[in-house]
Amino acid sequence: MYGNDFAATGDAGVPASDVAATSAGRTLLEQVEDAERELRSASERSVVGDDRLQDYFDAVINADQKIEPRDWMPDPYRLGLIRQIAQHAHSEIIGMQPEGNWISRAPSLKRKAILLAKVQDEAGHGLYLYAAAETLGVSRSDLVDQLLTGRQKYSSIFNYPTLTWADVGTIGWLVDGAAIVNQVPLCRCSYGPYARAMIRICKEESFHQRQGFEILHTLAHGTPAQRAMAQDAVNRWWYPSLAMFGPPDTASTHSEQSMTWKIKRFSNDELRQRFVDMCVQQATVLGLSLPDPDLRWNAERDHYDFTQPDFHELMRVISGDGPCNRQRLEHRRRAHEEGAWVREAAAAYAAKRAAREPAGV
Amino acid sequence: MTSVDYVLGLGDDALVAAQRLAQWCARAPELEEDVALANIALDQLGAARLLLTYAGELEGAGRDEDALAYLRGDREYRNCLLVELPEPDFAVTMAKLLFLSAYQKLRYEWLAAAGDERLSAVADKARKESAYHLDHASLWTVRLGDGTPESHRRMQDAVDRLWPYTHELFEGDHAALRPQWLSLVTAVLDEATLTRPADGGWAPGGGRQGLHTEHLSYLLAELQVLHRAHPGARW
Amino acid sequence: MNVYDVVAAVVDPELRVVTIADLGILRDVTVDGERVTVTITPTYSGCPAMDVIRADIRQALRSAGYADPEIVTTLRPAWSTDWITDDGRSKLAAAGIAPPGPSRGPIALTLGVRCPRCGSPNTEELSRFGSTACKALWRCRACAEPFDHVKAY
Repeated sequence: MYGNDFAATGDAGVPASDVAATSAGRTLLEQVEDAERELRSASERSVVGDDRLQDYFDAVINADQKIEPRDWMPDPYRLGLIRQIAQHAHSEIIGMQPEGNWISRAPSLKRKAILLAKVQDEAGHGLYLYAAAETLGVSRSDLVDQLLTGRQKYSSIFNYPTLTWADVGTIGWLVDGAAIVNQVPLCRCSYGPYARAMIRICKEESFHQRQGFEILHTLAHGTPAQRAMAQDAVNRWWYPSLAMFGPPDTASTHSEQSMTWKIKRFSNDELRQRFVDMCVQQATVLGLSLPDPDLRWNAERDHYDFTQPDFHELMRVISGDGPCNRQRLEHRRRAHEEGAWVREAAAAYAAKRAAREPAGV
Repeated sequence: MTSVDYVLGLGDDALVAAQRLAQWCARAPELEEDVALANIALDQLGAARLLLTYAGELEGAGRDEDALAYLRGDREYRNCLLVELPEPDFAVTMAKLLFLSAYQKLRYEWLAAAGDERLSAVADKARKESAYHLDHASLWTVRLGDGTPESHRRMQDAVDRLWPYTHELFEGDHAALRPQWLSLVTAVLDEATLTRPADGGWAPGGGRQGLHTEHLSYLLAELQVLHRAHPGARW
Repeated sequence: MNVYDVVAAVVDPELRVVTIADLGILRDVTVDGERVTVTITPTYSGCPAMDVIRADIRQALRSAGYADPEIVTTLRPAWSTDWITDDGRSKLAAAGIAPPGPSRGPIALTLGVRCPRCGSPNTEELSRFGSTACKALWRCRACAEPFDHVKAY
C-alpha cells in the first residue's frame, strides 16, 4: 500500500489502474491483509518444542509463529526490538514537526482538516508504538529520555525542512510511501505486538498517504506557480527518501541477525529498489519528473536502474549535522520542559485523589 | 430569518478557536494531550466549515467556506474576543476551552431546538462534541487547580485574566444563557479549588461587530498567507 | 449486485475492516430512473474521511455502471456509535479493535472494555484519544497487548 492502493478515482481525477503498483502481483495493502491472515492462522497452530527455552524460542521463530510479551526471549532479541520500536515511535513524534509546520497556513479548510488529522494520527501511532515497546519491559519515560538526550535516534528524513506547502504533499507521497514499503514486511515480524501494530498503522497510513498524493496531484495540475512548487519539492525530497532505506547492504550492520529472527525480511537495497519501481509510474500519473537523469528501465533486471542517494550525506544527517537536527530536538526538549509543571500537577492531583479515596474503590 | 452575521459569529468562533488550538500540535505537555487538542481543534474546524458554508449560502453572493475564511480581513470577522487571545501557557488554553465549550454547548443546545432547520442540524451534531470538549477542559481545570501550588497559581491567573472576556458571549439575545453557563463553570471552578472572579468589572466586547483585539490580525495573517499568495488557485 | 449493495460494500478508508454500511455512515440509497442518490452522514463534524468516502462511493457506482450519482450529506439524526451494526462490531473485534458499548447521553461511560486479543476484562485506558477521533488507546493487563477501543459516543 502506501502510495499504490489508489483503487478509486478520487475527486482529483487520479486514474486508478495506473497507480496500482504491485509486488509479486499483490498490492502493498493486500500484503498487509495477507500478513493479518497469516498472523491469525499462526496463533491457531501449536509448536511442539523442547523444554529448553532457547529451543522453544527457535522453534516458534522457525514455525513462523509469534513471540508474545509473556514468552521467554533472548536478550539481544528483546534489546534489538526495543531499539527498533522506540526509533519508530520517536520518528512518529519528531515527524509531527515538519508537517505540523504547515497546519496554521494550510491553503484551504479541507486541507487544514486533513493535515491536522494526519498529525494527530502520528501522535496516536507514537502512543501505540510506545505501548508496544512497553510490552518488552521498558517504560515510555525512559524511551523519551533516550530520545531527548540523543541516545536513541529517529528517522533522519525529519531533519529536512518543509519549505513550501508542496513539501506536505511530497512527504505524503515519497516519505510516507518509503515508510510503508519499509513497514509492510514488518507486518509479518516475529514479535506479535509489533506485527499487529504495523498492520494497523499501515492501514491508517495508507489513508493519509492517499491524501498526500492528492495534494501533489492538485498542485501539479494547478497554476504554473503551483506546478513549479510541486516539482521543486519532489527534487528536494527524492534522494533523502531513497536514503530512508538505510545504508547499502554491503555496509549495513544489523541486518543478518534481524533476518534470522524474522524481524527484518528484506534487505535495504531490495526495499529501495521496490520503492523506486513503484514511484516511477506514480510520477508519470502526477506529471512530475524524478530528479535522476540515469533513471531508466532495465529489461534484463526487470527493474529500474537509478542513482543511489549520497550515503555520506545520510551519515552526516544521522550523526547530527542535517539541516534541522538541532531544531527538531530543541523543539521536543522545549515542549517537554515547558510541559513539566502540567505533568507534575496531574501527578499531584492523582496522588491527592488516591489518598482521599478509600482503598479498593 | 437567520442573519448572515449571526451564523458568521458562530463559525468564526469555531474557526479561530481551531487555529489557536492547533498551535499546540507537536508542543503539548504530554503526547496524549497532543492527540486530544488536535482532536478538539478538528471538531471546531469541522463545525466552522459547516457554519461558514451555510453563512455563504445565506448571503447569496457566491462565497464558499474558503472565500469566507481566507479572504475576509479582521474587521469582517465576527468571532468573540475570547477565542482570538494568545495562549501563552497550557492553563490559559484550558481556561479558554472551559469557558468556550460551556458556552458553545449551551448555545448549540438552544439552536438544536430552535426554528432554523439547517442551523439546528449543525448544532445537534456539534453539541455532542462540545460536551466532550467541556468534559476535557473540566478535567484539566480541576487537575491544574487542585494540583501543585504552581499549577494552582497559573490556573487562577488564567481564569482571572480571561473572565472579563466572557461577558461578550452573552450580549443581546443570549443574555438568558449566562446563568446556566455560570452554574456549569462555577461547579468546575469550585471543584478545582479556584476562586470565581467577581462580575461587574471591565467587560470588553466588539468582536461581533468586527472590532477586535490587536491579536486577530496576526492570527489571520498566518492563516491566510498562502491562500492569498495564489489568487484563484485550487488546492 | 443491486445498487444498494454496491454502495454498502465501500470500505471505511481509515479503519478498512468495516464498510460504511457497517459503521452506519450510509443512510440511504434511492434510484430514480438512471439517477442514484446516496445519503451519508459524518461520524464527527470534522471527519476528514468524508471527502474520500464520497469519492469511493462515486467510483464504486461508476464501475457498476451508474454514472454521476448524487451524494447528499445529512447531519440528522446525528450519528452515534449505536449506529454501528452487530456485523460491524464483530469485524472490529476480529481486527483487534474493541467495539463500543451502548452510548448513553452526551458522554457515554465506558464500562468494562474486554481485550480483543485474549478476552480478559482486566484492561486499562492509556489515552482517551487515539490515532483517530473515534478511538481511545487501551492496554490489557493480562496479556499486555495495547489495543484500540472505539469509544461509545
